Amino acid sequence: MSSLSASSPHKTHEVAVSVRNLGLTYTTAIDKRPTLKARAKALGRGSKQTRVVRALDDVNLDVNYGQVLGVIGTNGAGKSSLMRCIAGILPPSQGRIEVNGSVSTLLALGVGFNPSMSGRDNVYLGGLAAGMTRDEITGHFDEIAEFSELGDAIDAPMRTYSSGMFARLAFSVAATVRPDILIIDEALSTGDAKFKEKSLNRIKELRSDDRALILVSHAMKTLRETCNDVAWLHKGKIVQRGEPNQVIDAYQKFLDLGKSAAIDEDV
Amino acid sequence: MSTPIQVYEPFKAGLPKLGKYWKSLWSRRTFISEFSKSELREQHFDSVFGQLWLVINPLLLSGVYFILIVIIRGGSDSTRYVHLTATLFLFYLISNSLTGGVKSITAGQRLILNTAFPRVMLPISAVIIAIFKFVPTIFVFLIIKVVVGSEFKVEMLWAIPILLITVLLALGLAITISCINVYFRDIASFLPYLTRTLLYLSPVLYEASELDPKLRVLEIVNPLFPILDSWSSALVHGQMPEISNMLQGLAWAVGIFLIGTYFFLSREREFAVRL
Ligand SMILES: Nc1ncnc2c1ncn2[C@@H]1O[C@H](COP(=O)(O)OP(=O)(O)OP(=O)(O)O)[C@@H](O)[C@H]1O
Ligand SMILES: [Mg+2]
Repeated sequence: MSSLSASSPHKTHEVAVSVRNLGLTYTTAIDKRPTLKARAKALGRGSKQTRVVRALDDVNLDVNYGQVLGVIGTNGAGKSSLMRCIAGILPPSQGRIEVNGSVSTLLALGVGFNPSMSGRDNVYLGGLAAGMTRDEITGHFDEIAEFSELGDAIDAPMRTYSSGMFARLAFSVAATVRPDILIIDEALSTGDAKFKEKSLNRIKELRSDDRALILVSHAMKTLRETCNDVAWLHKGKIVQRGEPNQVIDAYQKFLDLGKSAAIDEDV
Repeated sequence: MSTPIQVYEPFKAGLPKLGKYWKSLWSRRTFISEFSKSELREQHFDSVFGQLWLVINPLLLSGVYFILIVIIRGGSDSTRYVHLTATLFLFYLISNSLTGGVKSITAGQRLILNTAFPRVMLPISAVIIAIFKFVPTIFVFLIIKVVVGSEFKVEMLWAIPILLITVLLALGLAITISCINVYFRDIASFLPYLTRTLLYLSPVLYEASELDPKLRVLEIVNPLFPILDSWSSALVHGQMPEISNMLQGLAWAVGIFLIGTYFFLSREREFAVRL
């Protein structure tokens, strides 16, 4: 994958992403950080140092071009993990993923990976790491800066950004690059009302027959409006998949919140 | 279909496909140079004072160690000072690669969790930064040599292959230590002791020829020893370094580079789930 933006058009209904029997386990240290000291101590006691978290379990999922798939689920359900597997960032522990096209993830392009560098540097470095060329990024940069409405702040270190400004820049990068497959993981949650509206409009614009969109969100109203398909993930398994209103209704019933204001609200 | 299909499957132990890995690394070479540049900029090495510091810092260091030598031996001469600066500056190329490399993976967490790219780019960038910091010290050294009146000879050109060997060793060490730090995060806190010990075990504050025969074992177990010794022969004494010395240094560098890279490449796919 050398380029994110330039590739031939894909036909509608052609498979964009195919996930088969996907399993993913994280191995984390029981202590805050794995250290030599802790390992040496554990040797004496013979205790295990790692905890295994099963984040995804036998997930099957197909996404076609022309589809806008919403992914819902409680915190820790495995949504972000699934997205990282599809983007090729996390290798699966079991199963197989086939991706037919270029992928861009949001928060992706590693935007903001180095907080002491400016927004501009971070956009460039993130893009270069993702395999774009300098010229490609330069070609997109003005649009990114303009869409994010950050003004002069684009040249300020990213540690001085508010979380909303951070999200603005990340969204702008992902929405400007125009990949075949765009994954947006909870990006709209911290923007203010105006930017939220703007980015929602951009997502609607990006819906097209030769693109596949995957939106991870807790904002049910947004998903009902934008998606034509929704998958509900719970404890690493897909519980239900299908028509948005149906799946979301079932999910809300599961949450026992009914149609309370909190879940419809775009937060 | 013209866009290639990417397939992600559980990885087997061992190396990824090297041809593909190299291609994806090569296509991101601008990342390495841009990353090094912005890191240096962030450390203010793009300003006049920053660059001045790159020159003053090694001078001060060599000054401090020279005082140490004078006090311990009760006197010294200019050749000793030239030897000290030459070897100390090269030593700092390695030590800066180690300190920059050790946290390169753990500090790049955000990028690693959100972008798919060859992870080895990060320790490589750390070595490039160390090289950027090394270059001005070459000029400092040459000026010192002129001022002291030490002779310039054609044999000094042997320094070039020795420098290449050093860079290979620095790469190997940075890649290895950045990988180890993912599994043992306290390596970073041990590192200052490690580099300090390496400095004393290397022919920097003394010359290899003065070493007590009983301590000759250092020449064999310290990867830096043959390299620094050859460096001093070429640059300070204007002699051709012993071939056996250079070969020994080369063997260390190639060995550490290959073993470290093997570990790194066979492990890097699981870095993201371990950060
Ligand atoms: N880097 C990590 N190391 C260890 N465990 C992790 C890591 N990231 C996620 N997990 C675990 O994997 C599970 C799924 O996490 P994930 O981030 O995919 O959830 P999510 O559905 O995105 O949740 P949220 O709605 O809060 O974003 C959780 O149990 C979490 O604890
Ligand atoms: Mg998440």
